[in-house]
Amino acid sequence: MRVYQVPVHTRLWLATALITCSLPQLLLGPVWQSLLLGVVVAIRWLVDHQRMRLPGRIIRGGLLVAAVGMTWFSFGRIYGPEAGVALLVSLFSLKYLEMVRQRDAYVVIVLGYFVCATALLFERGPGMFLFVLLSMLLLTAALVGINHSETKARASSHIKTGSVLFLQAVPVTVVLFVLVPRVAPLWNMQLDSGKARTGMTDSISPGDISELSESSELAFRVAFEGALPPAAERYWRGLTLSHFDGRTWQQAIPRGGAVDSYLYNGRGAPPDWYQQLQAQGKPQSGYSYQLIMEPTQRRWLFAMAVPMLEEGEASLARDMRLVARAPVTQRTRYSITSFPDLRPAIVLDVLERELMLSLPGDSFGRRARTLADQWRRDSRTDNEIVSRALRHFREQPFHYTLKPPPLTTDPIDEFLFRTQRGFCEHYASSFTFLMRAAGVPARVVVGYQGGEQNTLGSHLLVRQYDAHAWTEVWLQGQGWVRVDPTGAVAPDRIALGLRASLRGDEEAQDTLEGLDSFASGGLLGRLQQWTDYVDFRWQTWVLGYDNASQLQLLRHWLGEASPLRIAASLVAAISVLLTLYMLILLRQAGTRRQTVLEREFWRVHQRVEQQVGHPLAQGLSPQALARVIDLKWPKAGPLAHQWAVYYQQLLYNPGFGAGKAQIRHLRRLRNRLYKLLD
Amino acid sequence: MRLPAPLHDLYERWLSRRLPRSGRVVLNQKRIFIFPTGYGFFYLLVASLLFIGGINYENNLILALSFLLASLFLVAILHTYRNLSGLGIRNGDSESGFSGASGALEVILFPERRDHLCLWLYWQGQAAQQVSVTGGEESSLWLNIRLNQRGRILAPRLKVESRFPLGLLRTWSYVSLDHYCLAWPTPQEWPQCPADGGDDHSQQVPTGRAGNDEFQGLREYSPGDSLRRIDWKGYAAGKGLNTKLFEEPAGGRLWLRWDRLEGMGDEQRLSILCHWVLTLDQQQLPYGLVLPGMTLAPDMGDVHRWRALDALACYPEFD
Amino acid sequence: MQALTKALAQVGQVVLGKEEQLKLALTCLMANGHLLIEDLPGMGKTTLAHALARVFQLDYRRVQFTSDMLPADILGVSVFDPKSQDFSLREGPVFTQLLLADEINRATPKTQGALLEAMEERQVTLDGVSRKLPEPFFVVATQNPVDQAGTFVLPESQLDRFLMRISLGYPAPEVERNLLAGGDLRSLVRNLKAVISSEGLIKLTRMVDKVRATDELIDYVQRLLDATRSDDRFVAGLSPRAGLGLLKAARAWALIGGRDYVVPEDVQAVWSAVAEHRLAARQGGSVAAMTQSLLQSVPVVRR
Repeated sequence: MRVYQVPVHTRLWLATALITCSLPQLLLGPVWQSLLLGVVVAIRWLVDHQRMRLPGRIIRGGLLVAAVGMTWFSFGRIYGPEAGVALLVSLFSLKYLEMVRQRDAYVVIVLGYFVCATALLFERGPGMFLFVLLSMLLLTAALVGINHSETKARASSHIKTGSVLFLQAVPVTVVLFVLVPRVAPLWNMQLDSGKARTGMTDSISPGDISELSESSELAFRVAFEGALPPAAERYWRGLTLSHFDGRTWQQAIPRGGAVDSYLYNGRGAPPDWYQQLQAQGKPQSGYSYQLIMEPTQRRWLFAMAVPMLEEGEASLARDMRLVARAPVTQRTRYSITSFPDLRPAIVLDVLERELMLSLPGDSFGRRARTLADQWRRDSRTDNEIVSRALRHFREQPFHYTLKPPPLTTDPIDEFLFRTQRGFCEHYASSFTFLMRAAGVPARVVVGYQGGEQNTLGSHLLVRQYDAHAWTEVWLQGQGWVRVDPTGAVAPDRIALGLRASLRGDEEAQDTLEGLDSFASGGLLGRLQQWTDYVDFRWQTWVLGYDNASQLQLLRHWLGEASPLRIAASLVAAISVLLTLYMLILLRQAGTRRQTVLEREFWRVHQRVEQQVGHPLAQGLSPQALARVIDLKWPKAGPLAHQWAVYYQQLLYNPGFGAGKAQIRHLRRLRNRLYKLLD
Repeated sequence: MRLPAPLHDLYERWLSRRLPRSGRVVLNQKRIFIFPTGYGFFYLLVASLLFIGGINYENNLILALSFLLASLFLVAILHTYRNLSGLGIRNGDSESGFSGASGALEVILFPERRDHLCLWLYWQGQAAQQVSVTGGEESSLWLNIRLNQRGRILAPRLKVESRFPLGLLRTWSYVSLDHYCLAWPTPQEWPQCPADGGDDHSQQVPTGRAGNDEFQGLREYSPGDSLRRIDWKGYAAGKGLNTKLFEEPAGGRLWLRWDRLEGMGDEQRLSILCHWVLTLDQQQLPYGLVLPGMTLAPDMGDVHRWRALDALACYPEFD
Repeated sequence: MQALTKALAQVGQVVLGKEEQLKLALTCLMANGHLLIEDLPGMGKTTLAHALARVFQLDYRRVQFTSDMLPADILGVSVFDPKSQDFSLREGPVFTQLLLADEINRATPKTQGALLEAMEERQVTLDGVSRKLPEPFFVVATQNPVDQAGTFVLPESQLDRFLMRISLGYPAPEVERNLLAGGDLRSLVRNLKAVISSEGLIKLTRMVDKVRATDELIDYVQRLLDATRSDDRFVAGLSPRAGLGLLKAARAWALIGGRDYVVPEDVQAVWSAVAEHRLAARQGGSVAAMTQSLLQSVPVVRR
């Protein structure tokens, strides 16, 4: 059997497409894949140049077995996302080697499409998508080449044809993307990228958050519809920690409480606390926003109090938090409205009150308890206790730092009375302890505070260094009230963010430098703002374009998103595009637009036609037109001939030079001529 | 794919009504058919698989990729169609042959307004030939044709096909050119020359050059004189270039006659006449041909032979 | 330019009353093209050709075509020369500057083919040796318009090799009276004075190529060609070769008009002579009328 020869003019495109499509996997995957591709391209080159025979079936089979074996060796299996993609890329290379019929070349192209698709499984940024589009363009050029059986065809013509096809296909693609209804998954195929991200843990003990503070990685983004809350109100609650063992704060639910009554997902009978919340009715003022979570591998979401979910899959917890159904493994978007005024509606029952007042054993925080007792005695209301405590933090020589000295045996007393240096976690922890000791129900809240506004869009960027811890106290009639002791010590931390609060602190210089270089102004800063903006829009418009946002958009455009209307608009939009292409493609070759001079002739032609009263021949030359005028209006004859000769010079004598002045002169002649035509 | 006979006949009749014979055809949407190829269907399957993948992984980018494949397919419909639309096809030359052998017809392709790449032309049962029409130039193609019987063999329905640029779709058209090839009769050996004239009306086979031209004399050569009549011997002897003058005796030429083969079938008569045309031509004897409705004056040479053979092929309808 | 006018006047003396055709014939010569004259016998075809040769001092031969003529009769033949013991070429009548091929349609297709090929290639190949034809080289062929017995009509593909076809027609009555009174035309021709040398003619033909045509004009020519191709009344449209010929003839016409650039009128003037003989009507009717109507309907300036 004769081995199929890829046309000479197409070999380069096919090889380039092969390498480009495989590149993302080659960069991530094991080295032997690059080696395999190199060997395959080299062999094919030698075969195409008749330097060697195509390796026989046994060798090709051997290579296949080796590729499967190496995949097993590298990944420990040959299925699953990573191993599967690696195997697919190897098959792609091997099929390229195995092109013995034209059909095989087609199969190579199709495998290329799949390889492009798998590249998008793990990385969904705009950059990767552009790269995949480039790969697709190369595949299309190669496909054009395979179908161009003429031997004398030029290689560059393929990419030209391919580009034309591609450019025309892109608008159609956009129409399909926007209008084709999103169907629910036929079966669930969640992929996790397997990489755990840094982020909040579900417990804190002093010392942890300083690590977070130094990371400028993105935590989540928030896009507001309408006004932004003031900077001091941007507290993104993640977890509430209510159990303290003297060193570590942890999540807890009241003794005897059932977990399922703690969370409500909108289905089934609502628990008591939710009913009470509902009974309040929706307050008028709230903040509406879209929360775009980065993958955390955790279930909790970050929102301002009191969050109500508009769109997305999550439940409301009793402590005013949102909890996702499953761990967040990929960027996910939630629509949320927060109603700060709903706080008083949250009730505190006996069991919960007990939990919120619980303290560790007596060996921890003796002096603190004494201080708290003192406040209790001196104050008439809980409110007063809170004020006294805040005043205490303000007046005593407390110092905000990210590098506090270690606290060894009794973190509360050691911090409050000896070191007096620490960051939010220390303050939140000791403040909550003091409140509980004074008989005020209190808990620690961890989450993020603040956020940086992107100057190009209305969204906030919350980064890992915005992580924060604060306290919530229960006050009769006010419900859970947020108290941030860190604000008492370092007001800048709250109002201006971490960077401002650290300025002038010599110990924190290193940290500060790292943070500065990220958010610095100038070109780099602006570039980063742009990158972030593009990434954000990509996230909201492209990746986040799901069933719900599609319906919303279609309702906005079509009034009603009925299947009939969607189908009709889909057909109409595509027909318009294709008709437009047809007109462009089938137009007469070489048609240029009419020039000023050419228009000038037809003006006179038309005028004479009107005056004469019957149609004139299309084929009249300027001179013949002048003769027509001469016959009908002998007076105008000389001027008509003058006009015709001048026109003829302008249009047909290249030595005459048809500048603006000449055209003006021609117009003057025409106007004078018009006056004589009556 | 073969349709059942009655359906096939219906289809054939529909086609010939829709595409009547003509000497010059420009392909337009009335004549062009388009349908996905096997690969085109495979491609659509791949696009659907990617669509399902995109839905299941809830990956909008993979969905976009499947939409891009679908869009390329849609755009390819236009481009594939365009590659055939506006292509002109007209009659070219023809090459006759003996019946039972093969002849050839020339088909000329001309562009109306754009290039046409990688076209395949063939008629039923023939291998396809590839041709491109570029740069506003005409291209011509010779297609072989089986000459199964004597006479005018009309061009079969020509199929013009193209898959350019992506091979996802096949566009084709049928062209019935008003073009024919002459099939000469198969020579049949026959001992008696069906001829009048020659020496004393004898029906003997004349052999060699008959001495039937009487030499009259010489005159100076002038341009336009036949070279056969030049006195080469004299020229070689240095007497200059002279033309020989002859007087042709009446009845000195042979007339091959249809009438002289009475009692046979038409085809057999033609075959015998054909045999004799070839024989006399080989012997370089001037001969004429008399068929019912056509008379060819005696002459000799290639052109004369062709005309005689063509006349035999055309019988009984001459132009 | 004056020389050209003088040349026209000279030839005009013998071909009376046919200024238009004369100008076309001259244009054809200057455009380096071959001319086909279609007329009944005795209309002055031969006189015209002879007069042109005379005025331009061209080497002139005339061949009367007959049915028993062979290609070699025109091109020539290799003959054995006993003195030099070698073959030498005996040149046929084609080796001349102006060849009048009289009644070309009387020759067999093969002989016609040989001449037309020589016209196209401007050289003759005999026994594998190519010989250039003299420069300039013009063929003025004449053909009888009606299908007369024993004629071989030139096929369309061959007609394409003639740049122009003109017909002289009957002379105007007063001109004919003059003619009748004037006596012997042949002696008149003999008395014509040479106006331009053959070298001068070569120079003129070179100048034709320098006559400029703007894109707008080329567009017009292209529109005309396109119109013949899309017109159902014709069997086939004009070939690209015809298009080139049309532009070249228009350039020559412009030069005779004293311009170094082409205007649409030049194209229109040569249109019929260049286009008519290359077009065939699909269903009868006058090709001349159809080609003229095209000229009326194709916009000179782009719409």
